[in-house]
Amino acid sequence: MISIQTDDVDIGALIIAAKNRGTGAVVVFDGVVRDDNITEMELEAYEDVAKTELGKIAKDATEQFGLLHVDIIHRIGRLAVGENILIIVVAAGHRKEAYAGSRFIIEAIKAGVPIWKKELTRDGGRWVPGEYGHGKPETG
Amino acid sequence: MTVKIRFFARFRELLGTDIITDVAAGTNFTSLIVTMAKKNPEGYAAIFDEKGAFREYVILMKNGKRIDIADAATTPVADNDEIAVFPPVAGG
Repeated sequence: MISIQTDDVDIGALIIAAKNRGTGAVVVFDGVVRDDNITEMELEAYEDVAKTELGKIAKDATEQFGLLHVDIIHRIGRLAVGENILIIVVAAGHRKEAYAGSRFIIEAIKAGVPIWKKELTRDGGRWVPGEYGHGKPETG
Repeated sequence: MTVKIRFFARFRELLGTDIITDVAAGTNFTSLIVTMAKKNPEGYAAIFDEKGAFREYVILMKNGKRIDIADAATTPVADNDEIAVFPPVAGG
């Protein structure tokens, strides 16, 4: 499943659905709203483009690491501290490919998918600066 | 001809989004975005520097495909184009 949505998902159900007879490892990445003295987080996406790019990332990861299953669910809208932001479920024959595929997907999302986060505070809010400019690391 | 401009994140807060506007034939990306951004000085300053050039971090898209800011002044807009202007992404 590749989705940009407001609703949360049942991660347990995704794990069950990700498995097949060739599966030897399932890796789950769960990005969560951290309490950096915020009240809520607001997420915004250029939805059509973001969904297309998530699909390309899943395809690239599948080909590069021989993955057997990929789910990427990125939430948008207002989220409270502790809520899930991004769930990536990757299944592979072995742990090495599963870990590598999961890492590839999260780094590719951070580098190029048009989604933004605003941390809402009692004093207003602040946009989270991207880690990357035009697809290249700004530092290091 | 008519085009749609979509600003996102901080740019959206300053300039609005899903703006449908009539443009003359031959209009290029840069001139169109300058015209739209000048409606709010703070929005203009977020996208352009003191010399009127795009700030390095600004990302442009035409119908979902990236346009290099160096090519914006020579890239014409066409009828029904969807033009997106946004700051660096921060998903995940």
